[in-house]
Amino acid sequence: MKSVRIWFKKAGLAVYISHLDMNRCFSRAVIRARLPLWYTEGFNPKPYLNFLAPLPLGQVGLLEPLDIRIVGEITFEEIKEKLNAVMPQGIEIVNVTEPVMKTAEISAASYKIAVDFSDASLAQKFAEVSSAAVAGGEILAEKRSKRGIKTVNLCEFIKSFEVKSEGDTAEINTVLACGSEKNLNPDLLLQSFYTLCGFEEETRSIARTSLLTADAKVFQ
Amino acid sequence: MFPKEIEKILLKVQKPGRYTGGELNSVIKDKEKVDLRVAFCFPDTYEIGMSHLGMKILYSLINAREDAWCERVFAPWIDMEEQMRSKGIPLYGLESGEPVKDADVIAFTLMYEMGYTNVLNMLDLAGVALRSEDRPSLTPLVIAGGACVCNFEPMADFVDLTLLGDGEEVLNEVLDLIKIHKQKGSSKQEFLRQAAKIKGVYVPSLYDVDYNEDFTVKSINARDGAPEKVTKRVVRDLDTMFAPSSFVVPFIDVVHDRTTVEIFRGCIRGCRFCQAGFLYRPLREKSPKVVEDQCRAIYESTGYDEISLCSLSTSDYKGLPELLNSMLDWTIPEKVNVALPSLRVDNFPQDLMEKINAVRKSGLTFAPEAGTQRLRDVINKNITEEEVLTTVARAFSGGWNAVKLYFMIGLPTETEEDIKGIADLAQAVVDEFYKNPDKPKGKSVNVSVSVASLVPKPFTPFQWEPQITPDEIVSRQELLMSFVRSRKISVSKHVPKTSFLEGVFARGDRRLGSVIETAWKNGCKFDGWDDQMKFETWMESFESCGIDPFFYTARKRDFSEVLPWDHMDYGISKQFLMRENEKAYAEQTTPSCREQCAGCGAAKINGGECGEIGKNLV
Repeated sequence: MKSVRIWFKKAGLAVYISHLDMNRCFSRAVIRARLPLWYTEGFNPKPYLNFLAPLPLGQVGLLEPLDIRIVGEITFEEIKEKLNAVMPQGIEIVNVTEPVMKTAEISAASYKIAVDFSDASLAQKFAEVSSAAVAGGEILAEKRSKRGIKTVNLCEFIKSFEVKSEGDTAEINTVLACGSEKNLNPDLLLQSFYTLCGFEEETRSIARTSLLTADAKVFQ
Repeated sequence: MFPKEIEKILLKVQKPGRYTGGELNSVIKDKEKVDLRVAFCFPDTYEIGMSHLGMKILYSLINAREDAWCERVFAPWIDMEEQMRSKGIPLYGLESGEPVKDADVIAFTLMYEMGYTNVLNMLDLAGVALRSEDRPSLTPLVIAGGACVCNFEPMADFVDLTLLGDGEEVLNEVLDLIKIHKQKGSSKQEFLRQAAKIKGVYVPSLYDVDYNEDFTVKSINARDGAPEKVTKRVVRDLDTMFAPSSFVVPFIDVVHDRTTVEIFRGCIRGCRFCQAGFLYRPLREKSPKVVEDQCRAIYESTGYDEISLCSLSTSDYKGLPELLNSMLDWTIPEKVNVALPSLRVDNFPQDLMEKINAVRKSGLTFAPEAGTQRLRDVINKNITEEEVLTTVARAFSGGWNAVKLYFMIGLPTETEEDIKGIADLAQAVVDEFYKNPDKPKGKSVNVSVSVASLVPKPFTPFQWEPQITPDEIVSRQELLMSFVRSRKISVSKHVPKTSFLEGVFARGDRRLGSVIETAWKNGCKFDGWDDQMKFETWMESFESCGIDPFFYTARKRDFSEVLPWDHMDYGISKQFLMRENEKAYAEQTTPSCREQCAGCGAAKINGGECGEIGKNLV
């Protein structure tokens, strides 16, 4: 039995599949692909699957890691081909590798975000207000965690932040804390910006482009 | 490409996965290259509709045609409906995201009377006029099928035609005819008159219903060449019948998310309350080899880890040992669970049972339906207390500790003793657990009792019987609770008001159309959902339409009364149902079709063939 790390892209309408549903989706895909799988033991044997960094609903992931366990001989290339032949639209296997790092080494993630407004002046206001807020070093927001809701300073979760307005759109490139220790959902950050601007909820697209380690290396 | 304005509302609703489509094996076609667009509508949520085998079959059947594209449509939940109405987004097909109103055919499948307001709500959300007469053009044509169309009179004003019996054959004939008339530019009337000539097609607008002064039906007369009796369609050979080789695999969790393959249609049992047991006669079996191949194909194309062999009474399938012995050879190593719902455990070999449970242990369920042998004889449920207790004893020694028991209250001739019998039987099952010398230490037993109330349905021997009132249901439920002594027994009950409304519409007539429309206008929808059903609104709607709902439920009908569904022919003869009704009151059972043919008459619509008795019964 050996672990294999699958890197997939989740985009299009597949972004509306929740994390729990992704689990079900992949457990069927690995069966359809007829991979030589290792099953969990016990009353209800299932193929072993471990999503390293759950992606929130409605967000694109460009390179999302998933560990599976294999018994028997099969190459990384074969796994990729077999899986891609049976995946639903919107989910694509980009790469298959050895698991180099441990889950706990995931510490941050980089995001590309676009927020659409009805006109350019609103986009500009959003860019100004948000960049000033981040520069100010304090954005208080209520954050839900396992221990309940508490007020935190979101700036403590922001590693880097750039924003510019392009016509009706505000474009953000940011690196945010990600992982089991410290995590910030970019939607929460956007909510705070909307509140600061006095805007209603806007149409946005969020793409997680890569996962990073504490020393800003790409997670492998 | 999925419309952007729909995507914009998806993050504002619960479970957006209900509304996106894009699931594996969903069928996308080039709309320019098809002649017919079909919006197949299920009048309930995605989770329920995606569990429905009939819809999967017909979806594959239509999409197997090169000239047609079938899309799925489900009733959007309340939150999504609000978003759609406020943003002006019409009901759309999951495959294309395009409006349902642009389809040539809007097809509904109706398994349950409580879906009627959802049909109206979906038509309205689609921007389509509710009443057939207000839709003058040929398309979109609103059609319906499913168990409810055996008496669709309450919905007669809203649909253009219904399909009786097995949809596999008749649906394609109707689609062919629509295509011809669409190309010819025929009027809707011309088309409907032709369609009525297809066996199995009912065009309500071609029938005039007259009533007596007491509101019972006086006569039903066909016009313009429509047949006096509409005969249901049956597929004669299940081995060559169309069957899907793949299912759409939902992303979200749905009720039944597994491979499901039918093993036979019809039933040999003849339980007198059971509409399905009569509607789907005569018995027709599928060969074990064909079943296995179909299971394998769907398993491989979906990756489902469970296979359900589906029928009305699985252990009556003659090929079951052969099928399981062959199939378990690959399902066990591939860790696929085989589920046998509707299994009568009394005649099921124990070694096979153990093999089936090799992958995942399934639940243990019995449906004695009534608490005493006397009442079980009345309803012709030929299962004895001894059989139940022997089987649970065997199961308990095999390590089970949970049993489900299904019962009904409100059965004809029911007395207090019969209701006490339900509690007694549940208690006897509990006692059986403690009699087991090898019972696992520290483990307790859990007997869950589910109590429905009888809704007399058309085409059953109880179709003339009164239904007990909601108040009476409540008092009998309370009586039952007073007899339950053990905390090992948990009882779940049906909502009496829902059973009442179901009863009204099951045996209703055309006069109810205005009530359904009024109730819908006043906000009724998702009536099958206990937390959504607005009983007061329903009662107000009956009142404002001047209709007494108890006319349909509380009355004992005379055998001589013209029933609203008398122009529907499901093969079962009325004489047979009368005979069965009389035998019920005489507490006489009728043997299963395997032991002795009861002469129900269903073989005549299958060319004289009944899969149980053999050929040429006519």
